[in-house]
Amino acid sequence: MAELSQRDQLALHEFSVRYRAALAKQHQTPEQSLDTVRDAVREQYEQEQDAKRDMTIEPSEPTPEREPDEPDQDR
Amino acid sequence: MDDLIKLVRTYRLTTGLAERIRLAEEIFRLIQPDLRFFEFSSIAHHAAEDVSQEILKAIATSLKKFQGDTTKEFWAWCYRIARNKLNDHYRDKSADRLQPMSPEDIWEMVELSAQDAPISPAVRHDLEYALELLTASKPECNELLWRHYVVGLDYAEIAEERNLNYDAVRMKIGRCLEEAKSLIS
Repeated sequence: MAELSQRDQLALHEFSVRYRAALAKQHQTPEQSLDTVRDAVREQYEQEQDAKRDMTIEPSEPTPEREPDEPDQDR
Repeated sequence: MDDLIKLVRTYRLTTGLAERIRLAEEIFRLIQPDLRFFEFSSIAHHAAEDVSQEILKAIATSLKKFQGDTTKEFWAWCYRIARNKLNDHYRDKSADRLQPMSPEDIWEMVELSAQDAPISPAVRHDLEYALELLTASKPECNELLWRHYVVGLDYAEIAEERNLNYDAVRMKIGRCLEEAKSLIS
């Protein structure tokens, strides 16, 4: 199988670095990216807090099932 | 342990919102350049920005659920999320898959980098040689060589991306490289 000579390695590495730099220059990271991250973290945090709140609310005493009314014998 | 995985581990243990946001900002400042390069190397550029925001959101939302302990595992996890989002996008808009660029268009990009770091004749010669290596073979080979040597994905990542096993990818890339070298020698 073909082995990469040192020259090949260096050439491909330099090429990758240059191509990457050009692409980064052409498509700069928009300002909104970190806003997207902050919003996602906040949303996730709020979901966790909601879930915690739901877990800590004590379940209310189960209401005993109401016995069916006795049929009114006199009627 | 490097900074990235330290930040991710700290993030997982952090309960306060303000501290989580601070850590997330630091994590994303570190991963965003490589992540964007991966995205813009996978999808048509007009669609990449929207998908990129979706990928950021998906990673940020799931950050607490990441279970690995190494930077390598973290990157594999990020790329998995990115790939899933890209595949979701292709299901609706398959035409947005990145089409192979011509060597002339690629060279234009390289020239763009010369605005910030001038290219000496010796380096120019090496870059031309690298471009030949990367574009000399059949399209499937060119793409594999590009993903490995330019995008920087390792054999395991390419194997996951293409549903192949590690050795099959290693052999294929070796054969493609051999073919490219024989074609330009």
